[in-house]
Amino acid sequence: MNCNEAAPLLPTYGDGELDPMQSAEVEKHLLTCAECAARRDEQVALSARIKRDVPYFAAPPSLRSRIDAVLAGTRGTLRSRPVWDRWRWLGAGALAGSMATVLAWLMGSAVLEWRDGTDLAAEVVADHVRATLSNHLTDVATSDRHTVKPWLSARLDYSPPVQDLSGEGFALTGARVDYLEKRAVATLVYRYREHVVDVFVRPAAEGTARSRSPVSTVRGFNVVRASGAGMDWLAVSDTSADALTAFVARLARGDAAP
Amino acid sequence: MEVRLPDGDARSRCAELVLPHLNSAYNLARWLSRNDADAEDIVQDALERALKYASGLQGTNAKAWFLTIVRHTCYDWIGRNRPAELVPGDGTDAIEAAADPRPTPEETVIADADAQALLRAIAALPVGFREVLLLREQEDMSYRDIARVIDIPIGTVMSRLARARGLLRRSPLLHSVLPQSMRTVGK
Repeated sequence: MNCNEAAPLLPTYGDGELDPMQSAEVEKHLLTCAECAARRDEQVALSARIKRDVPYFAAPPSLRSRIDAVLAGTRGTLRSRPVWDRWRWLGAGALAGSMATVLAWLMGSAVLEWRDGTDLAAEVVADHVRATLSNHLTDVATSDRHTVKPWLSARLDYSPPVQDLSGEGFALTGARVDYLEKRAVATLVYRYREHVVDVFVRPAAEGTARSRSPVSTVRGFNVVRASGAGMDWLAVSDTSADALTAFVARLARGDAAP
Repeated sequence: MEVRLPDGDARSRCAELVLPHLNSAYNLARWLSRNDADAEDIVQDALERALKYASGLQGTNAKAWFLTIVRHTCYDWIGRNRPAELVPGDGTDAIEAAADPRPTPEETVIADADAQALLRAIAALPVGFREVLLLREQEDMSYRDIARVIDIPIGTVMSRLARARGLLRRSPLLHSVLPQSMRTVGK
């Protein structure tokens, strides 16, 4: 592949949308061509700057309460409708089910209180949804596992293995600390295509029987569990269960762990 | 596959699938309308439409489905309120003519001069380029999903993205700041 062939493919390559064959060809060319490599770097830099500097407008609380009202079945001018009006709808039984479901979504963590406290899958999904809705996915945002690992170690009483599996489509984007079953745990955040994947990692549970299926679905999110490398792994995402299962198995195997 | 659900079920299922993407919806509406209050109206309107057509959501990709509705609602809104931003005609040529250099309020709150320049350059992009760029860079959407949301072929997604990036790269607003080493303004 020469420059004339490679140049038009560079943007697509940078967006991760080239097929594997073409990607390999482009990569080969980039190793030998400083000019194309510079062009690639420029695009990467521009993308990174947009992600870093351009504000992402998360839905404000005022919108959420309006949405809440829409879902409760009221229509039209919702901005100043008194709360009891919505309750009257509920009282009438109109869409009570939808209201309950939606409240669970909107409140994220509140769902924890309602549900059986031992329902781990529901808990991790709630954590995932809360992080997604509040647009606070990572406390430390970096794809460098050598930054993520010490950051987590400094905040937890264990040091989870951290791997970047960009090569397999799962790019590490950072980490945060969550609470799971009343203790602080590491949450590694990956991106897989347009999906956010949260991976909760904690020391292997001491004999708690969780013999249920390793894959479960909670409100449309897949939750996949695995054990390995001395840890329990729980991955949550709206991506396919198959992709998630392979990914977690790979993490739990820990080949590339330091 | 197409089971007709009772209305209430379809609505609640739709809400369940769509609500995790509320931030994405608001962000898109906010970037297209460039106004907080208008973006809220648009998203509420879009959600009402989504619930009305809940049975159209087959569970394949709720985000793309919802953003398609949000985008339509945005364009309807812009057409009603700021028709000058939409030049009639088809596709890219029309979009290119519709550059909009007005400053946005958030510029004033960003302390970093580089970030401000980038923001201004993106806000100045014609709306059709702005939406492709933001769906790609902020939402990390695939070409296929972007094509679905905007209802254009994938090839057009690619060419608009290339144009958007090219316009940014050449933007005089950005010209002085692209090399990171040239950062001179601190807080």
